[in-house]
Amino acid sequence: MWLKRLFSDEPVDFEEQCRRRIKVGACIVFLGLLSVALGFLQEQKLMVFYLEAGAEDFPAHFYASLGIGLMAGGIMTVFRNVRYLRDPALRRKREVAEGDERNKLLGLRCWAYTGYTMFLLLYGGILASGFVSRTAALVLLTVTGVYALVLMLFKICLSRLM
Amino acid sequence: MKNRIQELRRERKIRQEDLAEAVGVTRQTIISLENGRYNASLVLAHRLARYFDMQIEDVFLFDEEE
Repeated sequence: MWLKRLFSDEPVDFEEQCRRRIKVGACIVFLGLLSVALGFLQEQKLMVFYLEAGAEDFPAHFYASLGIGLMAGGIMTVFRNVRYLRDPALRRKREVAEGDERNKLLGLRCWAYTGYTMFLLLYGGILASGFVSRTAALVLLTVTGVYALVLMLFKICLSRLM
Repeated sequence: MKNRIQELRRERKIRQEDLAEAVGVTRQTIISLENGRYNASLVLAHRLARYFDMQIEDVFLFDEEE
């Protein structure tokens, strides 16, 4: 049922979608808070298992920045969708823009071309990293493997639904 | 695929915004359709034909050679 909802082209209730996005936005804000708290705790010398030497303050800054970014994104999502729910004219305009078939096609093609480009870049990166770093090569190989696996899973799911 | 959307719209003095709103798409989609840069889906083609009170094949002109 969830897969059908995700992949089908059937029209969705935009108001319901806005409410769902508000909930997702709130969850993202919560995750951001959690991340900032984690960064703060790390700064208070919480034990972390960091493999690289000389980068002890990195996790604190990383999680704090990540948390602030997540909170900003979540707040924006909540704010934007609350506006859509309160203003029917704006909601209708946004509903048409999101449901517009050309916009949907543009979005899908953008993702597809980005996917092809990323795959080529990863392939190039793997070829180059063999000369530079074993760790980098292994990371890139893993990313490419996961990428190919996700691509295959989506192909199976979509071919069953269409 | 060629279409007669611009011609029909001008004949009936309909604005792109009004046509877009009536068939539930953006004005940009109407512009792209009129310029031949985008081909409508079957659903949209049906909606447009119904809006002009015509058959689909009278609005969208299928050329075998294209």
